[in-house]
Amino acid sequence: MNKKLIPIFIAVFLLGGCAKKNVQVGPPVRGETRSTSYSGEVERVKEGEGIQTIQEMREKDADEIKLEQMKRIEREAKEIYFDFDKYDIRPDQEPRIEYDAKLFNRKDAREFNIRVEGNCDEWGTDEYNYALGLKRAKSVRDALIVRGVSAERMSIISYGESNPVCMDHTPECWAKNRRVEFELIP
Amino acid sequence: MKVIVILSFWLISLFAGDLTLEIVKEVESKPTIAIEDATGRINESLGKKFFKLLIGDLEVSAHFDVNDTHLRSEFDEGFDVLKHKKNDFVLRYKLSMEGRNQLSAQAKLYDLKQDTTLFSKTYSLTPDRYPFLAHKIVYDLNRALGFKDVEFLKNFVVYSKYTKPKHADIYISDYTLTYQKKVISGGLNLFPKWANSRQTKFYYTALEDKPTLYLVDIYTGDKRKVLESEGMLVCSDVSKDGTKLLLTMAPKFQPDIYQYDVITKQLTQITNYVGIDVNGNFTKNERRVVFVSDRLGYPTIFTKRIGSRAVERVVYHGRNSNACNAFEDYIIYSSRETDNEFGKNTFNLYLASLNSDYIRRLTANGVNIFPRFAKDGETVLFIKELGNQVGLGLIRLKYNKTYIYPLHTGRIQSIDW
Repeated sequence: MNKKLIPIFIAVFLLGGCAKKNVQVGPPVRGETRSTSYSGEVERVKEGEGIQTIQEMREKDADEIKLEQMKRIEREAKEIYFDFDKYDIRPDQEPRIEYDAKLFNRKDAREFNIRVEGNCDEWGTDEYNYALGLKRAKSVRDALIVRGVSAERMSIISYGESNPVCMDHTPECWAKNRRVEFELIP
Repeated sequence: MKVIVILSFWLISLFAGDLTLEIVKEVESKPTIAIEDATGRINESLGKKFFKLLIGDLEVSAHFDVNDTHLRSEFDEGFDVLKHKKNDFVLRYKLSMEGRNQLSAQAKLYDLKQDTTLFSKTYSLTPDRYPFLAHKIVYDLNRALGFKDVEFLKNFVVYSKYTKPKHADIYISDYTLTYQKKVISGGLNLFPKWANSRQTKFYYTALEDKPTLYLVDIYTGDKRKVLESEGMLVCSDVSKDGTKLLLTMAPKFQPDIYQYDVITKQLTQITNYVGIDVNGNFTKNERRVVFVSDRLGYPTIFTKRIGSRAVERVVYHGRNSNACNAFEDYIIYSSRETDNEFGKNTFNLYLASLNSDYIRRLTANGVNIFPRFAKDGETVLFIKELGNQVGLGLIRLKYNKTYIYPLHTGRIQSIDW
């Protein structure tokens, strides 16, 4: 090659490299990820799309855990049922009291106090019905004390006829309402 | 002969004041009264309800034969004597609204036989309290005619009503429960009891962590904690001067009756029994109490002198008398007549004197509960349930008359007036 031509080639190369590019400036198109390929097609970027939240973990505080524990034990406890106008414990209810005594003395229940709640059917009226509910609660409390539940852990209250679990006016319903149930308190 | 006459007079005088025996004989010709409504344009429903209230009040006063035809007239026109041939009196009234928040009533009572106006008056109040307007007119009308006082028409009733399990609200109402104002709500609020004869304050029990007794002033809204107790706490009665309360309490998990002095704050145990003692009521000039006890194995009524140990039985019939109320030497109680665990039971009301063995049955059917004497001792309020219907009952003891108003208020927990 003629040595005289070499500077000409270099000049042409450099001039070509510095030629102006045709750049388009405009706003990005919303909702689309455009990638310009040489073929001119639009490619949808899928990475990171459609990932589900499988579990949202939140730190539970100690109170919430205790509350859940108490509710679970309450659900396990068995109601004690009574005869019409009576507050002595029926023989068929003794096994249920045995069960409740064991439950309340269980390791996970021992830290809680127990509110023993007496309830009546709709047939009593006025103060007497509240007193009847109270005596039912006291009978159950006394029976639990005999079976080893600490007296200090238990308080009693009567809801009279104010807290029915069954609202129909039928003998079956009234029998369900003549009951003692339990609420745990911290 | 002389001895017989003296003995007769003695017997008559002995029982003359005894409500268990004495019933005023139905006078064949009680005066007849008609009502003329001269109201112009006003809420039609209010107009109808007001007329019905007047009819009811006149009936309950027991002093009239009431013509219940809804007659119309002009307030200032003369009285048409021919139209009222069968009537002795005409009550004419005119309701009108003054602005948006005042209901006004003009009322006059005309004596058709004497051709004179006996009474003429104008009243005004907020429209929501219209039942008290009707009661006041009939009260004034009775006074103008010199009839026996019917102050019970104007008395407030305070009652607790169940709203859902473990929830009951307290309302103040007129004696027909037409006017109703909720005064305590949220939680289980029970056993309201007027604290004074002026009916400005009442006691009630809130079932909080422990049953707690509060005193409420209905005009200032002031609420004061009085006492709390384990298990149960109810204010059953208040002495006439308002300084002593009879409470049912269970501080040792045992329902007994206590007397509480609101001045000295001293608590005295009146009964001490391992079963149920509840519902204490002052009687015999507040030297004794009557109460409900199950010391016979079923609830019935007993009495004892405050400070003594002896207990006397008052009621010797029935197997279940579980609610009572006292006025001086009289008691009224609800007694269950049937012992049916699997069906409807009947509860009747009885009136008994602590001075004699006589009792008087006051109701014949249904479930009749919450008997409460009015301050006059001659009128009794109660709740009647018959089938699926619930009514407010009113007994005029001296006239042997019972009136029942249908109630649509829900289940009442306790009531006082």
